[in-house]
Amino acid sequence: MIFEGRTISPGKAKGEVIKIDEPLSFLGGVNGSTGDINVKGGNVAGKILVFPKGKGSTVGSFVMYDLKVHGKQPAAVINESAEVIVATGAVISSIPMVDQIPSIRLFEDGDIVTVDADNGTIDIEGISFKEIVSSVVSTGGRCILLKRPESNRSYPGHWSLVAGKIEEGESPEEAARREIMEETSIEVGEPIGNMDPLYVREGKTLFKVYPFHFDSKGKEPILNEENEAFTWASIDDISSMKTVTDTDKVMRYFLR
Amino acid sequence: MDLTRAELAVLNGEEGEGKQKAMELITALGKIYGAENLIDITSAHLSGASYKTIGDGGLKYLEDMVSGNAKVSVNSTLNPVGMDRTRWKEMHITEEFAEKQNRIIELYGKMGVKTTCSCTPYVGPNVPKFKDHVAWAESSALSFVNSFIGARTNREGGPGALAAAILGKTANYGLHLDENRKPTAVIDADIDGSIFSYSLLGQAVGMAIGSGVPYFRNIRPEVEEAKTLSAAMAASGSVALYHAEGVTPEAKNFDVSDLETIHIGKQELQNAYDKLNKTDDIQLIAIGCPHLTEKEMHQIASFLKGKEKRNKDIEIWFCTSAAIRDKCPDDVRIMERFGPVLADTCMVVAPIEGSFERTGTNSAKAGNYLPTLCSQKAMCRDISALMEMVM
Repeated sequence: MIFEGRTISPGKAKGEVIKIDEPLSFLGGVNGSTGDINVKGGNVAGKILVFPKGKGSTVGSFVMYDLKVHGKQPAAVINESAEVIVATGAVISSIPMVDQIPSIRLFEDGDIVTVDADNGTIDIEGISFKEIVSSVVSTGGRCILLKRPESNRSYPGHWSLVAGKIEEGESPEEAARREIMEETSIEVGEPIGNMDPLYVREGKTLFKVYPFHFDSKGKEPILNEENEAFTWASIDDISSMKTVTDTDKVMRYFLR
Repeated sequence: MDLTRAELAVLNGEEGEGKQKAMELITALGKIYGAENLIDITSAHLSGASYKTIGDGGLKYLEDMVSGNAKVSVNSTLNPVGMDRTRWKEMHITEEFAEKQNRIIELYGKMGVKTTCSCTPYVGPNVPKFKDHVAWAESSALSFVNSFIGARTNREGGPGALAAAILGKTANYGLHLDENRKPTAVIDADIDGSIFSYSLLGQAVGMAIGSGVPYFRNIRPEVEEAKTLSAAMAASGSVALYHAEGVTPEAKNFDVSDLETIHIGKQELQNAYDKLNKTDDIQLIAIGCPHLTEKEMHQIASFLKGKEKRNKDIEIWFCTSAAIRDKCPDDVRIMERFGPVLADTCMVVAPIEGSFERTGTNSAKAGNYLPTLCSQKAMCRDISALMEMVM
């Protein structure tokens, strides 16, 4: 899968991903002589280092240079949004760097990735890609959550928004309406909100999720065989429920 | 970004690797901030001078820049370093540190940087003019030249400012553009006008607004007050530009009638004071953040004249530039009876954590950084209150 980003520091590299989920300060976060990562296990040397963005002291740029001096620098850096400290460190240390990729959630530790920072692209090997929709169908601050059976392949026994795969030739919005009809028998009108797509990895599959918000128009769901129960849940209710990734994020976005 | 043919040639390495690297960095930073083009600068001020802050990585970076024949092309000055170049032994500095620090200074010198080693270059060797575009690092100094002089700079980092100095250009974004110099909040200040009240005012405003462009009413800062205010707001928040009604050159350009007004009075100053004061017991008093001006040297000397330091347990450091120390020999003689007048350095960038645990200062900027960069418990009071502790 090839994704477009933006060149921050030129060059090309291929290697294994090591990902840090939080903004990273090189000063304190990575040992400049050894490449060891202090905020989690592992080492940056020769790796494709993925993290959302830099933070912390401007001395971090020189920690990256220190890595280079010791031959422990990452093969490339990938950020969601570059900031000055890491961009400076990458440029002065001649480490290829790309930012403005859709999300660091494209990646998992151990993925083999080719970074072409001259052209601002990245290529993740061996993953399959699926586009899905996920809808908040709500009335008065509560929305429908559906319980997946224990036998389900994806997220067994979890509560989910009204979700499903986009079929060929379908727009995301059409898919959202069709899934709601199939899974709840509710016919919804135009969406009352949408948000930027989210990315979720499950093993070697990468899901691109298009969230939507629809008004239930006061109707009660009638389930098909895909789910075994439903409930009307508010944002406060879900903290104690086992939900599919990002359910809380999407509900919060639309219902708050 | 729109680069000229000449700029593209530099980016493609036609003028050597040193300039190519500098151009790669300036264009990368320009992209991050959405700059459309580059602009010429008239001066630069560089941070990343103390061995304590840049470490071996920074030292090697400078070595490599010099081997690549990097040279600055505009008037460029250097921030304070980790020690006084001649009196470092009085600061409990190790031989190894001194050797590496001297090498850093030498390397900057080889690139054509004036190794003034001061955070107040605007009182001497590097004075931008109104509307000049410049590339300055050192948060207190860049805020001073933006605000009090009306020159234009962003908050540059060390390597970014050096790259700009080499090219004589920086990316055109942020505070280089008129629209980003507009005030974002009015500050109705109720202070007593003493230098220390400007430290607390700056601390309080930084705490209240974080970033943004404050527009002050009811203050009349001169150089020393503006220096203090700039430093405090850049440390407690990330303010890089402010306006003061009837004082700073751009203040008259703005209609602030629709802006939110924030009152800073007794309560806010007390909160600022409490935030900066975490100990009653100190081992070192460090004065001169930012570096003392000639006027401040006279004031301190006249306060200390005829008095005696009785408390031998507390050390005192006064920090200024070598140029100002040389200009005030009579003041220096009086001050030296209390403690060394150090040049080129300060309590924040020197490795004081090796010798002290609790430090008093009159600077809100130092009050913010002593705990984080020097592992100190800090006290922040006005100079006379600090001096009375040792008399």
